[in-house]
Amino acid sequence: MAGIGNDLFFATIPELNARLKSKEFSAQELARAFAGRLEQLGPGYNALALPLPQQAIRQAREVDQDIKRERLRGPLQGIPYGVKDLLSLAGQPTTWGAKPYAGQVFDYNATVIDKLAGVGAVLAGKLSMVELAGGGGYRYASASLTGPGLNPWDRTRWSGGSSSGPAAAVAAGLVTFAIGSETSGSIVTPASYCGVTALRPTYGLVSRYGAMALSWTLDKLGPFARSAEDCGLILQVIAGSDAKDPGSAGKSFYYTPQYARPLKDLRMGYAPADFTEWAEPAARPAFQAALAVLQQTGMRLVETKMPPFPYGAVLSTILAAEQASVFEPLIASGKVDELADAAQIAGLKASLEVPAKDYLKAMRVRRLIQEAFSTLFQEVDVLLAPGRPGPATSIDQPLDRAGTAPATAPQDPGFRSIVPAGNLAGLPALVLPCGFAENLPLALQVVGVPFSENLLLAVGKEFQARTDWHKRRPPGV
Amino acid sequence: MKLTRRQLATALTSAAALAQTPSGPPAAPGEELKAARDRVAANGAALAKQEVPVATEPAFQFKA
Repeated sequence: MAGIGNDLFFATIPELNARLKSKEFSAQELARAFAGRLEQLGPGYNALALPLPQQAIRQAREVDQDIKRERLRGPLQGIPYGVKDLLSLAGQPTTWGAKPYAGQVFDYNATVIDKLAGVGAVLAGKLSMVELAGGGGYRYASASLTGPGLNPWDRTRWSGGSSSGPAAAVAAGLVTFAIGSETSGSIVTPASYCGVTALRPTYGLVSRYGAMALSWTLDKLGPFARSAEDCGLILQVIAGSDAKDPGSAGKSFYYTPQYARPLKDLRMGYAPADFTEWAEPAARPAFQAALAVLQQTGMRLVETKMPPFPYGAVLSTILAAEQASVFEPLIASGKVDELADAAQIAGLKASLEVPAKDYLKAMRVRRLIQEAFSTLFQEVDVLLAPGRPGPATSIDQPLDRAGTAPATAPQDPGFRSIVPAGNLAGLPALVLPCGFAENLPLALQVVGVPFSENLLLAVGKEFQARTDWHKRRPPGV
Repeated sequence: MKLTRRQLATALTSAAALAQTPSGPPAAPGEELKAARDRVAANGAALAKQEVPVATEPAFQFKA
């Protein structure tokens, strides 16, 4: 196919859309190229749950007709993407990454998929995930119907989870963007490990309708993409009120980089220990260099302390109680034993025994956590932490091993608990690739107050104007 | 048996490494379930220690 060079598989949304509009190639040609690439290379990373080449070409044909009639629908028109296989697509299997649900088919689309179809985005495939988004607590990367997510940078390393497929597929240029989800870490971790820009939106900003529920009060859907700007363009489409989602915040999102506050006016809270003592030694130089870049933007880095709460216990209790209700039929029927990971099976069974008083106590502490972060954000505008303290782990490594923790715990706990804390408070987070350690990606996460996505994206856009980590490609793809 | 200084240093380092490394994964499903139940109980114990003002309501709302 003339015009479809390898560079296009790693192009941003505006780049691809401009070249479509200038008729360098048709949307159908682009869809065939991406769908073919996804089908050919996706299994090599265990990233593909279901190829959708015919769906993609059908949607692309409509895009070509629309473009011909100058019916332009915005920057995502004609752009190939994938979705984590917890999003329902009418008439197609939605496996939730789990053997007991391998044949599950819904007769409706997730709202996010409908919204993306409405602007002419082209769905090329469903992407792999950790079984049931890992809520029971999985020990191994192999906790998935499709096997362990393999990192495109090094297939002996994990892609991260539970949005394994979305992160790997974007990193390897198999789709231009992907939709994943996070309950606690499932966007931040794989984005960090695969060196991909990603956004965890404010809770309630993006409709959960049609997405597998793991924890009704913690689940969020968000984009993996080539850049912060791309994340903003995607969020503008997928965000918005939805009466079918009881947790919908009833708010829209408009990506407005032109109104971004000057970064020199911003205070960025951080804990130095996160980038030194808590970071893996191999990662520290890259983290220090990234901090220097952020300082060069004029932002003030302010040493900040995280409010002290038992974040792990609070999040684990809420997650356990809510998932127990969601998956009670699975557990009671015994089909939970068909899952791949023994720790996950046990965790789901034990979750049925969470006392109601513990769940309610956790939800009350959660209120205090929200209030404490609201107070914290009076002193700073955003928070900064590593996405992960080091590069991707080996696919064979038990995930509950304390292998990466320092031998002697630093006195300052830093923002090590920012992932559970941010999810408990419903805060948005932007993941930004920021360097390498051992030839594997590293990332930062920038966290803000609810509905501050434009601010986070402005920080991300400036960081990415000064660096090129987000443009790097895994070797051999 | 008298240890050389090198042998003593090696023994102490190994012991420290073992102490830091969590015990290997339980082999039997019964042990996995017990471990999971223990985690639920430990989370409950951690929550019990957290003081919460009596007027603090859970972070969800029901509206008619």
